[in-house]
Parts: sequence; C-alpha cells; structure tokens
Amino acid sequence: MNGLTHFLAMGGYARFLWPCYGITFAVVFLNIYWARRLNARARSEARRRLAMREELVLEEQA
Amino acid sequence: MNWTWFHRLGSPPHVYRLARTLTPWFAWPAALLIIAGLYGGLVLAPPDYQQGDGFRMIYVHVPMAILSIMIYTIMGVAAGVGLIWRMKVAHAVAASCAPIGASITVAALATGSLWGRPMWGTYWAWDPRLTSELLLLFLYLGYMGLRSAFDDLQRADRASALLAVVGLVDVPIVHFSVVWWNSLHQGSSLLRLGGPTIYTAAMLVPLLMMIFGFMLYFAAILLMRLRGEVLRRERTASWVKEALAT
Repeated sequence: MNGLTHFLAMGGYARFLWPCYGITFAVVFLNIYWARRLNARARSEARRRLAMREELVLEEQA
Repeated sequence: MNWTWFHRLGSPPHVYRLARTLTPWFAWPAALLIIAGLYGGLVLAPPDYQQGDGFRMIYVHVPMAILSIMIYTIMGVAAGVGLIWRMKVAHAVAASCAPIGASITVAALATGSLWGRPMWGTYWAWDPRLTSELLLLFLYLGYMGLRSAFDDLQRADRASALLAVVGLVDVPIVHFSVVWWNSLHQGSSLLRLGGPTIYTAAMLVPLLMMIFGFMLYFAAILLMRLRGEVLRRERTASWVKEALAT
C-alpha cells in the first residue's frame, strides 16, 4: 500500500473520519457564503430605500 | 480609564466600519491556524493507543462542540444586553450569532455521531451530553423561528432575546452533563481538574490550533454578518449612504 492510500484509509476509519471532516468544512464554507449573501442583500435593500427616499424628496420639492 | 471606545460600540456606523476593518485580521490567522492544525492532526499526530487513527475526529468534533456552546453564550449575553439597555448593536450581534451557532451545532452533533458509531457502536443514544446538545440546536432554531415570525425587526429582537436569555440555562448543562450524570460520552479532555488528559504535544498542539483557529473563524463570520444586520436596522440613517458608496 503506498503512502497516499494508507493515509486515506485512516486505519480503517475512513468511512467515519472523512465524512466527519466533510461535514465540518461544508458548514465552514456555507457560513462564508451565507454571510456574504446576507451582506449583499442588506446593501441592495438599503440602496433601494435610499433611492426611494431621494425620489420622495425630489417630488416634494417639485 | 478612558471608556469612549466602549461607548462607541453602541454606535452603528462605528461598529459597521470597525467590523469591516477587523474581519481580515481574524480571517487570515484563522485560515492559517486551521490549515496548520489539519496537517498536525491528520499527518503529524501519532495514532491513539486505543482508538488508532479514529481519534483524529477529535480535531473537528471538539472545536465544533466548544464553539456551539461558546456562540450560544455570546448570543444569550448579547440578547440580554440588548434587552436591558435597548442597544440595537447588541441585538444585531445576537441575531448574527444564531445561524452560525445552529450550523455549528449540527456539525458538532453529526461529527459526534460519526465518531460514536465505531467507538460506542451506535450513532445516537439518549445520553445527557447528546440530549442537551440536541436541545441547544432546538434553542437556536427556536430563536431563529421566533425572529422570522415578526415583520418588525425591533419586535423580533425583543421577543427572541427573551428566549435566548432563558436558553442560557442549557449551556452549563451541556458542559457539566458528563460530570453530573453517568454519560456514555467521555469527560472533558482539556478543561478538567488535574490538567488535560492528552499529554503528547503532537496530539495536543494541533487540537489547540484547531480550537483557536475556529474561534477566530467564528469572529470573522460574526463580523461579516454583523455588518449586514447593522445595515438592516439603520436603513434610513444618513451614514448608510456614505457606507454604501465604498
């Protein structure tokens, strides 16, 4: 057995150990994605509101 | 002592800018520590004398489990501060913690389950540690569900904060469950009277790196979410225009 297959076999625990790491890092990257999505949405929502307010101010002036 | 820095933490524009500046200072050390911890844990650490290579699941399970109760504590305390002093920023911190904490609790339960199968012979048992950790997940989900039931953000903040504070009672139960009751789960390997049970530096150092790495990772994600949460609460304030321009 070469080095890599030996490493990947993890002494027979591969089918428990790798899913363990897989789930953890899936959660790690999902959280990065969710945080970015939350920020993007909050920014576009805030932009929309600002635009609406500016429109109202212009209408009042007219 | 000058307390201005503390009072400024109540100011949304200051927190928004501070969060943006600090995020990379947590994110990069987190990435480095986690990568080094992975190498140390998966490659350099020797196999355990009882569990062989299976013990390496500790390097993801323990950081996830510690974070799950640490994040809840931060969430509960922040919600309490928001409730008592009516601080918007504190509510924004609590709201930012919940989805991170919930997903990390899922990871703690799933990795524990995968570790339990080869070592205990079962994926799940209604054991005090496991059950109180599952309750923690329900508290996070309940908090998030309650928040989404309100259209008004301020009412959502106040109602959910109460649940978060009451739920704090589960935190010591999770932590001490292995001491108070007969548990299938092993006792704490690190924070125990008489020092850690892991003596070998090659095993212990990667674990500490993973724990601190994931704590910094959490701080970075929290700061990222906090910006979004602060912005949602301050949509019409004049500083928002400035913040959006950059």
